[in-house]
Amino acid sequence: MTRLAPRLHDLALGTLPFVLILVAWFLLPHLLDYPSYMLPSLGTVIDRAIGSIEDGSLLENTLASLQRLAIGFIIGNGVAIPLGIAIALNRHVADTLRPVLTFLQSIAGIAWVPLAIIWFGIGQGAVVFVIANTIFFAGIYNTVVGVESIPNTLYRAVRSHGGKGIQIFTELILPGALVQIILGLRTSMAYGWRALVAGEMIAGTNGLGYMSIEAVQWYQTETVILGMILIGILWLILDRLLFVPLEQRTIVRWGLIQR
Amino acid sequence: MTTTQTTDTKIRLDAVRLEYVKEEGRSRHLAVESISLDIRDKEFLVVVGPSGCGKSTLISAIAGFLKPTGGHITMDGREITRPGADRGVVFQEYALLPWKRVIDNVALGLKFKGVPKAERYATARRFLAITNLADAEQKFPHELSGGMKQRAAVARTLANAPEVMLMDEPFAAVDAQTRMTLQEELVRVWEQARLTVLFVTHSVEEAVFLGDRVVVLTPGPGRIKSIVDVSIPRARRNWQEMNQDPEFIRLRDEVLVQVRGQPVAA
Repeated sequence: MTRLAPRLHDLALGTLPFVLILVAWFLLPHLLDYPSYMLPSLGTVIDRAIGSIEDGSLLENTLASLQRLAIGFIIGNGVAIPLGIAIALNRHVADTLRPVLTFLQSIAGIAWVPLAIIWFGIGQGAVVFVIANTIFFAGIYNTVVGVESIPNTLYRAVRSHGGKGIQIFTELILPGALVQIILGLRTSMAYGWRALVAGEMIAGTNGLGYMSIEAVQWYQTETVILGMILIGILWLILDRLLFVPLEQRTIVRWGLIQR
Repeated sequence: MTTTQTTDTKIRLDAVRLEYVKEEGRSRHLAVESISLDIRDKEFLVVVGPSGCGKSTLISAIAGFLKPTGGHITMDGREITRPGADRGVVFQEYALLPWKRVIDNVALGLKFKGVPKAERYATARRFLAITNLADAEQKFPHELSGGMKQRAAVARTLANAPEVMLMDEPFAAVDAQTRMTLQEELVRVWEQARLTVLFVTHSVEEAVFLGDRVVVLTPGPGRIKSIVDVSIPRARRNWQEMNQDPEFIRLRDEVLVQVRGQPVAA
């Protein structure tokens, strides 16, 4: 047996549900009678995909969405991580911010769309605001929990070996909170991705969400389905490309979670 | 007599009282009622007592993690107010940083001091060799057994060249076989490093095996019940010999009686 065999086995199992969905989708028109605009055939969707690749619109919309996600991700976590650390380390910051954060958490994300449209108008600004907002709230508590979960003994070990001030921060607090911070990055991007699609549908002028909602006007169901498939595939790729290697290099290697 | 003792003293506990607030409730717990003790320079002092006698709290106070609520703790005549690299602590739960390889864990204190990388790795390797961990330097802590983790923790403290090594039940979490090996190794390592050690344990055998002097504490709140001198030569301190050593057996039984609180036969 080669070492590749178990991985191929996993891959085959993971692919199986997708194959079943495709087979069902292919067979359904032969088994049931329904108008094709309700669920266009696999072939129609593929034709649509090829068409929109050829005219460049698919790439344009995908890049627009990904760019927005990246901006929202950087802003959202760029605020959430430092603030989360401050909350975990300083009681006064925590006492000041916890109530207002809990209040705002319940209305995070999509509920801000109307106000975002009034403030930024339809388009980039409004959608990015909603994504950043969603990502901030999805990520911040992970950072807080991460810092708070560092065992007291590790602080004592570091201090009794001469660690002081900023050294405690760089050598203990940051790496110690990393398990939860990475989890927060991953979760927050997943939430952000969903908020992005919804935000684009309501307040967008391009992107995959906009592409899907726009198509409804023309009963282009194949475009809607294409959008949904792409949203799923892109997330799979992002997750595999960004977070799985990041976890392997850090927390799995350090034995902090088992794989 | 008093003056010679003063120059000899590394750490002095003067009527130390230790209380801490329990996390669950608001109640204050009295861990140590009043302890006065001189820890001599370069001696291996073991504190033994039943659980709850405040011996770990005592280590915390000397390490500077908590302040005495009464009395004074001084090192070389200066009051201890905070943790510092001059007092390295070895913890029961190892307390290695999971994200650092063994060599980087051992070199941790030297990094804090700003020692250049090549130099601190050279020092770390020397102590990894002494603690039989040369082959493990590139591993992460989770890849080590309990015994290896504790060797790494000892190497980390010694590499930092503290004046005092505080050991808080360091071998309590490893299996019995490994514990005996670690005890023998510590005797050997200490002879090379020759620094002041305060070692806390609930094991009477361990206390007599390792110590120059053994301090017996009363069940909590802790006070000193007695101090037993152990003058067995270091060369004989291996389990093969110690198990049959009449002096070891006599001292062990004597300390055991003290710890269990039975009246000492007159």
